[in-house]
Amino acid sequence: MSAYETVVGLEVHAQLKTESKIFCACSTRFGARPNTQVCPVCLGLPGVLPVLNERAVRFAVMTGLAVGSVISGRSVFARKNYFYPDLPKGYQISQYDRPLCYGGGVDIHVDGVSKRIGLVRIHLEEDAGKSIHPEGREGVTTTLVDLNRSGVPLIEIVSEPEIRSGAEAYDYLIRLKQTLMYLDVCDGNMEEGSLRCDANVSVRPRGQVEFGTKTEVKNMNSFRNVERAIAFETERQIRLLESGGRVVQETLLWNADKGQAESMRSKEEAHDYRYFPEPDLLPLDLTPGWIESVRSGLPELPQQICERLIREFEIPAYDAEVLTETRALAQYYEEVARRAGNGKLASNWVMTEVNGIRNKKGQSIEEFPIRPDRLGTLVKMIAEERISGKIGKQLFELMLTQPEGPEELVMARGLLPIDDESSLRALAREVIAANPGPVAEVKAGKERTFAFLVGQAMKQSRGRAHPEKIQDALRKELSAS
Amino acid sequence: MKHEDASPESAESIGRSVQSGERSAVEVAKTFLARADKTAERLRTYLHRDAGRTLADAGDVDARIRAGEKLSPLAGVPVALKDNLCTRGIPTTCGSRILEGYRPPYDAHVVERLRQAGAVFSGKTNCDEFAMGSSTENSAYFPTRNPWDLERVPGGSSGGSAATVAALEAPLSLGSDTGGSVRQPAAFCGVYGLKPTYGAVSRYGLVAFASSLDQIGPFARTARDTALLYNAICGRDERDSTSRAEAKPVALEDLERGVRGLKLGIPRDLIAEGVDPEVLASLERMAKTLEGEGAEIFDVALPHARYAIATYYLIAPAEASSNLARYDGVRYGFRDKSASDLQEMYAATRGKGFGREVRRRILLGTYALSAGYYDAYYLRAMKVRTLIRKDFSDALSRADAVLLPTTPTPPFKLGEKTNDPLAMYLNDIFSIPASLAGAPALSVPAGMTRSNLPIGMQLVGRPFDEGTLLRIARTWEKRNGDALRLPPIDAGGSA
Amino acid sequence: MPIDAGVVHKVAALSRLQVDPAEEDRFVKELQSILAYVEQLQALDVSGIEPTSQVGAGAGSSLREDRVVPSDVRDEALAQAPDRDGDYFRVPRVV
Repeated sequence: MSAYETVVGLEVHAQLKTESKIFCACSTRFGARPNTQVCPVCLGLPGVLPVLNERAVRFAVMTGLAVGSVISGRSVFARKNYFYPDLPKGYQISQYDRPLCYGGGVDIHVDGVSKRIGLVRIHLEEDAGKSIHPEGREGVTTTLVDLNRSGVPLIEIVSEPEIRSGAEAYDYLIRLKQTLMYLDVCDGNMEEGSLRCDANVSVRPRGQVEFGTKTEVKNMNSFRNVERAIAFETERQIRLLESGGRVVQETLLWNADKGQAESMRSKEEAHDYRYFPEPDLLPLDLTPGWIESVRSGLPELPQQICERLIREFEIPAYDAEVLTETRALAQYYEEVARRAGNGKLASNWVMTEVNGIRNKKGQSIEEFPIRPDRLGTLVKMIAEERISGKIGKQLFELMLTQPEGPEELVMARGLLPIDDESSLRALAREVIAANPGPVAEVKAGKERTFAFLVGQAMKQSRGRAHPEKIQDALRKELSAS
Repeated sequence: MKHEDASPESAESIGRSVQSGERSAVEVAKTFLARADKTAERLRTYLHRDAGRTLADAGDVDARIRAGEKLSPLAGVPVALKDNLCTRGIPTTCGSRILEGYRPPYDAHVVERLRQAGAVFSGKTNCDEFAMGSSTENSAYFPTRNPWDLERVPGGSSGGSAATVAALEAPLSLGSDTGGSVRQPAAFCGVYGLKPTYGAVSRYGLVAFASSLDQIGPFARTARDTALLYNAICGRDERDSTSRAEAKPVALEDLERGVRGLKLGIPRDLIAEGVDPEVLASLERMAKTLEGEGAEIFDVALPHARYAIATYYLIAPAEASSNLARYDGVRYGFRDKSASDLQEMYAATRGKGFGREVRRRILLGTYALSAGYYDAYYLRAMKVRTLIRKDFSDALSRADAVLLPTTPTPPFKLGEKTNDPLAMYLNDIFSIPASLAGAPALSVPAGMTRSNLPIGMQLVGRPFDEGTLLRIARTWEKRNGDALRLPPIDAGGSA
Repeated sequence: MPIDAGVVHKVAALSRLQVDPAEEDRFVKELQSILAYVEQLQALDVSGIEPTSQVGAGAGSSLREDRVVPSDVRDEALAQAPDRDGDYFRVPRVV
C-alpha cells in the first residue's frame, strides 16, 4: 500500500437531450453544417434575451432527484464572464451561488467494496460553440468558429473530493452515465461531447486530514482515459513530493496518445469570472407540487430494478447488475424471464448467448434480431424440458437469421425431441448394436463407459433424445440384451 | 409665423385623420420629412434617415387602410426610433463606432408592434454611445442640439428622440431609459417622456446597457399621445423573461377624470439642495395647480434616495461591462484588422471601437465585479437598491404618486460637463431613484425659465400604474395649456 | 480600496480594452473620483438586507416549451461577419 492517498473530485458536464437549445428555439442536433442551427439569441446579437427551456429544467431536476439531491425552490442564473471566440456573448449563463440541486450521491462498487460518492451540486448552464484551429502551411494562423453548439443545455455535476482512485472514478462515471441514460436525459456519447469530465486530483500522506495542492486535468475523451489520467497524475504528484518538490496548482491537458497529462503552458492568467446574477432571467422558482410531479414521473432506476429483479426472478445480484446495464436490456430480460417462467435460466441465456453475440457484433439490445418474445418462448421450452439445451442452442442460431418462433422451427426442421419410450428404446438398441466393445465394458462393470454410450445416443439423435430418459432406455436395453 | 407644413398637431389627431381617409400616410410622412430636412443641419437629431423607406412604409399603411384593415390610432403617424432599437436591415449603431455599418437581421419587439399598428418610422435618432450619458455628447458621430437653445444639450442619452419630437420633426418617438435617459431629455426639450414600469415593455431588440434597469419609453407632445404610444408597445412578450402580463394599456378616457382625491407626495428632503430656484418655483406652481384641482399634497420621505447615484453607478456599469463583452470583433461590427493574434484583436477592437465614456464604465463595472471587490461594491449596491425600493413602496402606500423635478437644473451648455464625469452623473439625482425601484416615472413639461428653457417635473407611481401618472399630467396640461408650443428653432432658423 | 495605474491595467486586461498610456492617468483620476463618491455606501447599515438584482424576482418563472423553431436570420447574420471562411466565422489564432 502506498504511503500516499489520492483525492479526486470530478466535474461532469452532460448535454441534455432536449429538442431545442436552453435559451432559444434552435435545434440541438449534432453534426449539422456549421452555423446553421443559429438565431439572434445564440449568436449573441445585440438586443437579444434568453428564455429558459422548460424541458431542460425538468431534465436537470430529474437527474437531481435520481441521485438524491435537494431541489432548490429558488435557484438563480448567473453570468460567468470571459472572452473566447466561441462564447458569443462574452459570458456564459450558468448558476453560481444558488444552483438548482444540492447534495445527493452516487453509489459505487469497486473490488467488492461499496461506497457512496457525495455530490456537491448539480447546476444548469449553456454550452459554448466550437473553435477549430486548422493547421495550415504556416502552422495555425486562424481559428474558425461554429456556433451550432452555442446554447445547448448542459448540467454540471460536481462531486465531493471523495474519490480515492482511478478505478473508483471509472465506476462513478459508469454509474452516473447509467443513471443519466436510464432517465433518458443525456445520450452519453463521449465522442460527440455529450458527456465530458474534468478531474481535480491531489495526493496527501495517508492519515493527513488536509488536502494537498490539486491540479485540474481536462480533455479526457473516455472513462478509461479518466482512469488512466488519474493514475498518471497521482504518480507524478507523488514522485514530485518524494523528490522534495511541490505540486503547482494548474490546469493540465490529457494527451491520450502519449498517455500523459501536459501543462497548458499558457501564461496562467488569473481567472476572474466576475459572476453576478443574470439580470435577463428572473430567479427560477419551482413549487413543491411541480417538483413532486417530476418525482412521480421518474422511471425506475438501475438500483431499484436490480433489487426488484433479484426479488421477483430469484437471480443472483451479479446477474441483476449485468442485466440492468441499460434500461433496454433490463426490459428485454424481464420480458424473456416472464415468458420463460424461469428467471435464472432466462438470465443465463441473456447474459451468455445474447450478450455474447451482441458483444461480438457490437449490437445494442435494440438491434438484436431475436426479440424477447421469441427468446422467452425458447427458454420456456427448455425450462419445461420440451427440448434440451443443446437443441435450444441450435434453435437460437437459426432464430438469429430466421423470423420464425422456436415452436415453428422445431416442427419445420425436425428438431422435435425424442422422448417417447418406444423411440428411445429403438435408439438404444441401435447404439448397443453399433458399439459391441463399449457395451461389453459396461456389462463388465466399467460404469464410465456408460456415459460414452449416452453420448453416442445423443449424437445419433442430433441431440434430440431426452437426456435422462435415454439413460433409462439404454439401461433397460442393456439388461435385456 | 405660420406653419402650415408643421402645425403642432397631436399624434392622436394625425392618426384619426389618416384612419378616416382625410389625408394619406404618405402626405403626413412628406410633411414631417420636409420639416426634418429644414432642421436637420442645426439639430442633428438623426443618425440614419431614409426618406425613401419612410415613404414606402407610409405607402404600405395607405394600402392597408384602402384594403379596409382596421389599424390602431397610430396609423400613419411618424415615429422616430432611438438608434439602440434593432431594425431589420436598417443601420443600428447605438451611437457607437463599434457598430458602424451594423444592420440587425431582426426587428425589436417594439418595432414589430409599431409596424403592426401602422406607425411609420421616420429614422434612427442620435444618442449617447450605448445610452451612456446625459447629453448626447457621447455619441461617436456628433452631438445633437437642444431645439430651444442650440448652444445647449438636448439631454441624454435619448437626446435625438427628445429633440426630434420637440422640434416637430416627428410627432412621436421612442427612447430608452436606464437612469433617466428618457425623462431627462424630455425635461430638457420640453416634451413628455415616460419610463414605464420595469417589465411593462419588452426589451427584446433593445441593445442592452444595464439589463435590470433598461426600459423603452415614449416621447410625445401631449399626455394622451404619450398614452397612445405606450399602449402600442406595452405588455407581455415571451421573448423577454422579465416582461410582465400586468402591463395593460391605459384607457384614454380615464385621463380626463381629473385628480380630485388623488394624493401626491413631495420628497422635500431629497429636493433640499442644489436645485435651481426656477425649477423649485415650477414644482410649487404645479403642486398648487393640482391642489386646486382637488389633489391632496403632502410630504413623503425617500430617506435612501440620496444614495441612488452611488448605487446606480455601481450596478449599471457592472451590468454594462458584461453586456458589452459581445462587441469583440468576431461576429459583427468593427474589428481592428491589424492585430495578428486574438488577444491583440480583442483589445484593439474594443479599445478603438468604444468611446471614452463607455470604456470608463466598462472599467468601473469590471472593477466592481472583480474578485475581492464584489461584496464591497456590487453586492452592497444591490442591498441599497432594496432599501430604495422600499422607500418608494412606503411612500406610494400613502401617496398615489410622488412629485419631484426631473432634473435639478434646466439644460446645460454643450461641453459644460464633458470633462467631469461625476458632475454629469450628479445631474441624474432625481431620475435614478425610480429606475432603481423599477417604478413608472413620467417627465411632464412644466413651464419655462425666464431665459426660455424648458423645465420638467416628474411623477413616479406604483408599478404598472402608468395610467395615474398620465391622468395627473393630463389634468395639469389642461390647466397649463402649453403642451404643443414650438421651440424657437422653428422661427426661421436662428434659435 | 485605492485605484491606481496597476489596477486600471489589470481591469483593462480583464475587459480586453486597450488603454493608451496617455489616457491611463485620466482614467485613474476619474475612477478615483467616482469610487470616492460611491464610498458613501459603506456608511449604510445593510446587514440583514436582501439584495435586489431584479425587481421582477418572484413574479414566477418564464419558461419556454421545448420546441424547435428554425430561424431565418442565418445568412443575414453571417453577412455581418468581419471575416469568414465559408460557413465559419474566422478570427486570428488563439495564442
